[in-house]
Amino acid sequence: MFGEIFGAWVAVFLTFAIFSFLYKDNPFYKIAEHIFVGVSAGYWTSMFFWTQIQPNLFGRLWPSTHYSDGIWYGVYDLFGFISSSIFPAGGIDKGHELHFSYLIPFALGIMMLLSLFKKLNWFARWGIAYTVGMAAGLRAYGFLNSNVILQIKGTIIPLLDPDLPFFSLLGDSHFNNLVILVGTVTGLLYFFFSKEQTGNFGKVTRVGIYFLMISFGASFGFAVMGRISLLIGRFTDLITYNDASYHHATIWVLVIMVAILGYSTFTDKGNSETDVS
Amino acid sequence: MKFLTDLILKMGTVDRRWIFLVIALVVIIPLFFPLGLPIRATATTQYVYDTIDALPHGSKVLVSCEYGPSTKPEIHPMVLSVMRHLFKNKHKVYVTCLWPDGQFLASDALNLVARDEYGLTYGEDYVLLGFRPGNEAVVKGIVSDLRKLYTIDAKGTKITEIPMMEGVNRFEDFDFLFSASAGYPGTIEWVQYAVDPTNVPMSTGTTSIQVNDVMPYVSAGQIQGILAGMPGAAEYEALIGVPGIGTSGMDAQSIAHLVIVLFIVLGNIGYFIERNRSKKY
Repeated sequence: MFGEIFGAWVAVFLTFAIFSFLYKDNPFYKIAEHIFVGVSAGYWTSMFFWTQIQPNLFGRLWPSTHYSDGIWYGVYDLFGFISSSIFPAGGIDKGHELHFSYLIPFALGIMMLLSLFKKLNWFARWGIAYTVGMAAGLRAYGFLNSNVILQIKGTIIPLLDPDLPFFSLLGDSHFNNLVILVGTVTGLLYFFFSKEQTGNFGKVTRVGIYFLMISFGASFGFAVMGRISLLIGRFTDLITYNDASYHHATIWVLVIMVAILGYSTFTDKGNSETDVS
Repeated sequence: MKFLTDLILKMGTVDRRWIFLVIALVVIIPLFFPLGLPIRATATTQYVYDTIDALPHGSKVLVSCEYGPSTKPEIHPMVLSVMRHLFKNKHKVYVTCLWPDGQFLASDALNLVARDEYGLTYGEDYVLLGFRPGNEAVVKGIVSDLRKLYTIDAKGTKITEIPMMEGVNRFEDFDFLFSASAGYPGTIEWVQYAVDPTNVPMSTGTTSIQVNDVMPYVSAGQIQGILAGMPGAAEYEALIGVPGIGTSGMDAQSIAHLVIVLFIVLGNIGYFIERNRSKKY
């Protein structure tokens, strides 16, 4: 229970510390910002290590199923002296078989870490080259299929389908299909820069701009909606933590923080007036 | 009239911190005094509900959690609602995470819905496979050979020892995918590397800011419906008849939007008045 109450107080403090930036930059905000960056980096590193590197990399290089007295596991036992939680006695039991091919990603990973050393940082290029090449190859197919071919297919729609109504606010209709056709064609023409956008061509591309502006407007609206949702989430938590079971954390932290910020502003004002005089 | 135009112009010069305070007040007041504005499911939310409802009982459903604490208010309510719907219809739920922080939020959701509300058994009715780093490479890995990527679940139990993992070797062994996504990697990567190549049906729940990016996939039929931000979560809560955090936040959301629209309108009026005045002189 103490942990839960303490967690609530920390959450309330960090929330108000971040909100305090809306008033002005101040030490509370700086504290929260640094804690956030530090905790995020620590959490991500820990998660990456214990969910991938330890079970899936080390677990494949030194699986418990192949444990023996040979040189390979001799090296492993040596690592075990350094950290028995990462390299437990008798090999790593994560359901893998021995795969020496995983020495390649292991080496590439170490090469990337060598970027920390000035003389050896060229090694990192190998790891980066592999990552970029793999990602480019992987994405090329995904984008071509899902974002090009299937999206083009999605815009090929019947304009004269007798089963469709002329207008429907949400479903398929002749009007909506016409909007998709005009929007797609004029939007694409706007990005055709081989011809000057004047005269009739300019008028058509102007329609394309309107479609783009409507799209940007919708994006802005959704962005505002998202931010308000997050604000509601924080306020809901603050209301919860103001409960007696949390010793009214919200109101206490708010009062103390406002008092400190108010006092700091007051003394700063006094100092600046003294400096001027 | 002059008084009104001067007032609007004066409002344009007001310290932005007053606007922050007004927004804070219009969000916080409805949380204390709810108005109970009606919630009506949009076509895209209804599509998600109908797709999940049409799955035969006992289907194998993959739920992927790609969100963290920063987007919890938008995504977590929809994950809870979708899980309630899935468990009510007696489906087997497998949970993966493409984001590291998604794992403990997914664990929270499973403990609340599967364990506490429905009294289901871990490993037989639901399983948390957990997080694996690698972004789209993880999706690709699940599609080709899930067991190569996941030899243990989030609790460290071997996959071979989990009863409900029997017969589940790759993505095509699932009947449906629900991606709860707050960005990259998320819904779009599932569409590109898993759903389009295999034709396994998929629905999604995303943050509001992502809706415009994901909507073309819904329109093209690549995704079966989308829950769009907190309103999407509230609509789904209404459809399954279990109001939650999404519903309670909708009054504040609606009123805050009205006030923001009012600010935008006033700002534009002020801009045009100022432009006309500068033209005159």
